Amino acid sequence: MSATTMQPLGPVKDQAVAAALGRRRKATDRLVRLLSFAATGIGLIFLASILVTLFFKGFGAMNPSVFTEVTKPPGSEGGLLNAIVGSLIQVALATAIGTPIGMLVGTFLAEYAKGSSFGNVVRFVSDILLSAPSILIGLFVYQLLVLPFGGFSGWAGVAALTIIIIPIVVRTTEDMLTLIPNTLREAVIGLGSPKWKMIVTICWRSAISGIITGILLGIARIAGETAPLLFTSLGNNAWTTDLTGPMPSLPITIYSYAGSPFQDWIELAWAGALLITLAVLLLNILARSVLGRSK
Amino acid sequence: MEQMAEHTVRAYAEELRRLREMVARMGGLAERQVADATTALVRRDAELATEVMSRDAAIDALEAEIEAFCIRLLALRQPVGQDLRLIVAAMKIIHDIERIGDYARNAAKRAIVLAQQPALGSLNGFQRMARLVQENLKGAMDALVNDDANRADEVWAADEPVDEVYNGIFREMLTFMMEDPRNITAATHLLFVAKNLERIGDHATNIAETVHYAVSGETLAEERPKADSSAFAVARPPS
Amino acid sequence: MTPPSDAETTSGTTQNASFGGMQARSAVALNETARVTVRNLDFYYGANKALKGINFLLPEKQVTGMIGPSGCGKSTLLRVLNRMYSLYPGQRAEGEVLMDGENIIADGVDMNALRAKIGMVFQKPTPFPMSIYDNIAFGIRLHEKLNKAQMDERIEWALSRAAIWGEVKDRLNSSAMGLSGGQQQRLCIARTIAVRPEVILFDEPTSALDPISTLKIEELIDELKRDFTIAIVTHNMQQAARCADQVAFFYLGELIEVAPAGQLFTAPKHPKTQEYITGRFG
Repeated sequence: MSATTMQPLGPVKDQAVAAALGRRRKATDRLVRLLSFAATGIGLIFLASILVTLFFKGFGAMNPSVFTEVTKPPGSEGGLLNAIVGSLIQVALATAIGTPIGMLVGTFLAEYAKGSSFGNVVRFVSDILLSAPSILIGLFVYQLLVLPFGGFSGWAGVAALTIIIIPIVVRTTEDMLTLIPNTLREAVIGLGSPKWKMIVTICWRSAISGIITGILLGIARIAGETAPLLFTSLGNNAWTTDLTGPMPSLPITIYSYAGSPFQDWIELAWAGALLITLAVLLLNILARSVLGRSK
Repeated sequence: MEQMAEHTVRAYAEELRRLREMVARMGGLAERQVADATTALVRRDAELATEVMSRDAAIDALEAEIEAFCIRLLALRQPVGQDLRLIVAAMKIIHDIERIGDYARNAAKRAIVLAQQPALGSLNGFQRMARLVQENLKGAMDALVNDDANRADEVWAADEPVDEVYNGIFREMLTFMMEDPRNITAATHLLFVAKNLERIGDHATNIAETVHYAVSGETLAEERPKADSSAFAVARPPS
Repeated sequence: MTPPSDAETTSGTTQNASFGGMQARSAVALNETARVTVRNLDFYYGANKALKGINFLLPEKQVTGMIGPSGCGKSTLLRVLNRMYSLYPGQRAEGEVLMDGENIIADGVDMNALRAKIGMVFQKPTPFPMSIYDNIAFGIRLHEKLNKAQMDERIEWALSRAAIWGEVKDRLNSSAMGLSGGQQQRLCIARTIAVRPEVILFDEPTSALDPISTLKIEELIDELKRDFTIAIVTHNMQQAARCADQVAFFYLGELIEVAPAGQLFTAPKHPKTQEYITGRFG
């Protein structure tokens, strides 16, 4: 005790060493900061050039007939109406089917299978699905639904998009439920509530804004998917709401029009690209505002 | 004696140690007052008696200081268990010691008067009584300082001889007064001195009782052994 | 309430040998009114034994304070009493916890019904993300079917008993999350008593509250003991001294001493208790 109190308080400091150390740290700091700014700058330049080009060309090609006319042969006044509606139908159905499934699986993982090996397997598979290349999912549905049932269909497209959105909803649902403090669960159970009632009335209610955010981000993701639709709903240049036959969608239309030699098709592709970008942007902003409101 | 673990808050342990030390010091002062008052009486030393009287103020001052210290401890440390018992006991004990100081002072005051009166008997009884109550007072203070409940019990049970000596003095003084009315002034004063010493003994047993509670947490419920029969004495003039 | 046979079998047989005579006396004295009786209770977190041979009583309509250093098992015992531990696989209790002659830690006990009889208030206020009204109604709806008028009446009763009615009666439909910490805790108490339990367990109910809110909760506990049997786990010994009728001291999974609060805080029998309450712990 007395030995320590003999020492002067605070670290012993050699001014010269401290100054040298300080100079080196400052130099390192400047270097790292420079590199970070450079990397960020390069990334921003690319992003900006993409967006500027997109907005420039997209707005240039935008006119009312884009929303009023269906896709037509080159040279005639065509629009994207059938592609927009096709996309909306497929995305809406995929979300409607995928969300409840994803929420239930996420709930299972967070509330029932915590720490169990089966739960870990489910979580692992779901995470793989989350990062799987979307073209694989397209091929899978092609094998499962297109080949056996004799043709491309809107339903097959919906199935592919559903498979993509499910793991996103699973992940966010589980994460949001895990964030709920255990004391809240115990408080509900402590009142004599059965577990299912606790989950439905308290846990989901507490996590709902986070889950909605996840769903919105999932919608944004599937709205822009092209690859899984290539092998499933294929695309269609006519007006159709028949899910049993090939169905048009914005990404597919952009894909086929952008690669065409016709100037008016290329312009329509730009308009479609701008539409999708704006939709995704809107969904992201919406997701942020939903999450922000709950805090 | 079982040893308690050190207190986690060292400043608190230090304060409790200081409290014991102050109470022990006050007890020591009172012991000396009793001894000196008796010496002044036996040696007919008015100067020493005056000194005893003037020293009583120091005991009173110490009582006030300890009381303030105890109140502060109660407010700031919120003591429980043995610490609470010690602090409450200290507050009771200093009151007993203060009374002991007052009785010693009164005895000294009477010693001054008695020094101017003709001597009456041997006063051996007074010396013996003073020695007994001093021992008890010392024993009670030792019990407090050492957390020794057994020592406190011994003191508590040792008041009987004091009462016996007191009864002896009481009869002796009655006899002196009956023999010769001129003895009445001195004998009355001596009776009061004896009563003072007897009261001091009672306070010493009170202290022992308090210490017993402070140390063990249990109160001594039973009636203390007593032998003071002077209350029933009747003076019969010689016929 | 307690069947006479229960009191009879309890007397004399339930005490740990290590208690010594004093505890045996006080426990027997409390026996006639025991609402919950714990006998030879062992508790395990997996292979880790957290409670060792606990024998213990909750006297009816009294406040039992439970104190001891962190990890001594006091909270664990509380979580045994309402079977909260059953939520977690790997936790198990052995022995008997008797209430109305039934061993509530046995298999096959209806835990939801049990938790309606033994309510719990937690360390941190846990308002549900809904209106103040619905917070209270939630528990009631789990166990009873009330019409609107009855429900309104019960909610006012519960909020009044929890001494928060005056503060919230004009905003029953606003979110419970907007209340202050102390108000939230009283809301949680109201939610617990709305179910009309017989026993209320408090798990460090004021450790997240300021001193004035703490005093309000303590005052409330004192008020509630007229109708409820109460057990309170606390790290604050002064709180146990202020609230509890009897106090139990736990150490390393064992019940070291149980005594009336006035006795335990002035003249504890066991040296370990003495060391703990006076702050002489190693």
